[in-house]
Amino acid sequence: MSNTTRKLWTLKFNTATWVLIPAAIGINYLGKLFAGVLKLPLWLDSIGTCLAAVLAGPIAGAICGAVNNIIYGLTMDPISTIYALTNIAIGLVVGILAYKGFMDKFGKCILTGIIAGCVAVLVSTPLNMIFWGGTTGNVWGDAAYAWSIAHNMPALLASGIDEIIVDLPDKIAVMLIVFAITKSLPKSLTALYRSGDTVESLD
Amino acid sequence: MKSISLYEEKGSMLNRLGPESKILYIIAALLSPMLAGTKWVGFGFIICSVILLVQSRVIKKTIPILGVSGFILLTVVIIQGLFREGNVTPVLSLGKVIFYQEGLLFAWGIVINVLNILLCFCVLILTTKPSDMVENFVRHGFSPRLGYAVISVFQIIPQMTETMATITDAQRSRGMETEGNLMVRIKAFIPLISPVVMSSLINTKERALALEVRGFNATNKKTFLNDQKRNAADRYIEWSLIVVMILALVWRILKWQVL
Repeated sequence: MSNTTRKLWTLKFNTATWVLIPAAIGINYLGKLFAGVLKLPLWLDSIGTCLAAVLAGPIAGAICGAVNNIIYGLTMDPISTIYALTNIAIGLVVGILAYKGFMDKFGKCILTGIIAGCVAVLVSTPLNMIFWGGTTGNVWGDAAYAWSIAHNMPALLASGIDEIIVDLPDKIAVMLIVFAITKSLPKSLTALYRSGDTVESLD
Repeated sequence: MKSISLYEEKGSMLNRLGPESKILYIIAALLSPMLAGTKWVGFGFIICSVILLVQSRVIKKTIPILGVSGFILLTVVIIQGLFREGNVTPVLSLGKVIFYQEGLLFAWGIVINVLNILLCFCVLILTTKPSDMVENFVRHGFSPRLGYAVISVFQIIPQMTETMATITDAQRSRGMETEGNLMVRIKAFIPLISPVVMSSLINTKERALALEVRGFNATNKKTFLNDQKRNAADRYIEWSLIVVMILALVWRILKWQVL
């Protein structure tokens, strides 16, 4: 079955896709947990969202991102609910790019990471400005913010730099992990989530 | 299995209220300061939230939540107090480090806003069972399938955390290093995460079959396992919150006309 017959914007998910969403959120959660355990300087908390977007399309990715942050909001940090917007954007962008074939090759996959990172910066920076006055809570990013402000840059630009330092490497790493995972998945599994495919009967 | 939800049943007044009133409380707490255009309304809501949380005996559980954001708030106060553009009036100097009034006032606004958001959310999340909340959303016309996706996260995450402990032990016993320099730790990430990802994706296949057998895709009207939580007080609370928001707007308009 060729890729072109899949519907990109379908809202009619099959059951496997509905079940993929909570599993992807669990993967997000574990990514964050492992990154914490290994003391990595990245968040790695959007692996599941990107995986869902690659496997089941942009809408599934967006729903996954939204539900993910709503759950974070309900269980850990209420402010992170509003960052659902960022994760929705990441899910949409990665889903569309994957549909266009950006996840086939290693180089294109890094490009996907860069684009997703830029989108995350564009959405998060205004939110950072509104809620935190521009800082992100990440030591390296905030050091850059303080440095930029001290050198008389406008707060919005400083906040953007802060967010780029935090988000861009994170999203590239996430896309590389997703690339490695999707390449090693068996076809029988990836075919499950393609809602647009028609089933051909033999009898 | 440890639940990830922060909800606790203490039989308090907030426990007995419906989720709708508490969600409306959040909306009122977030909108009123914006409508009235003054930080003091937010301050009032903070005090109100604290009283409600103390009354429901869950104030202790807010400490870890405040701790998550407290650190970021501290950096906000330091960075804005030291470096914010337009900083001219020094108020506090510790050796060479000088805090400025403008930056500190700006940071104070952020602190009030963040505390208000955190505490009003706590009023909801510490006293409401997530599944009750989602069930009520579904009653109001939310998609039951999306409702399933939300509720099942609360079951899946504890399961996956257990798998994670098993996998970490298994990989360590095979000689994987999880401590050391950055490169070693980065290398450890893939062998840790990929077995969980694989097993959870394979599980989705079985789960999907199990759900379909039980009529997940059935289109007829769904029934609910639990009764709707709602009592007489809910309606009064909802109306008074709406009145508060209208008052905030009226106050803004009056102030605007006086100027």
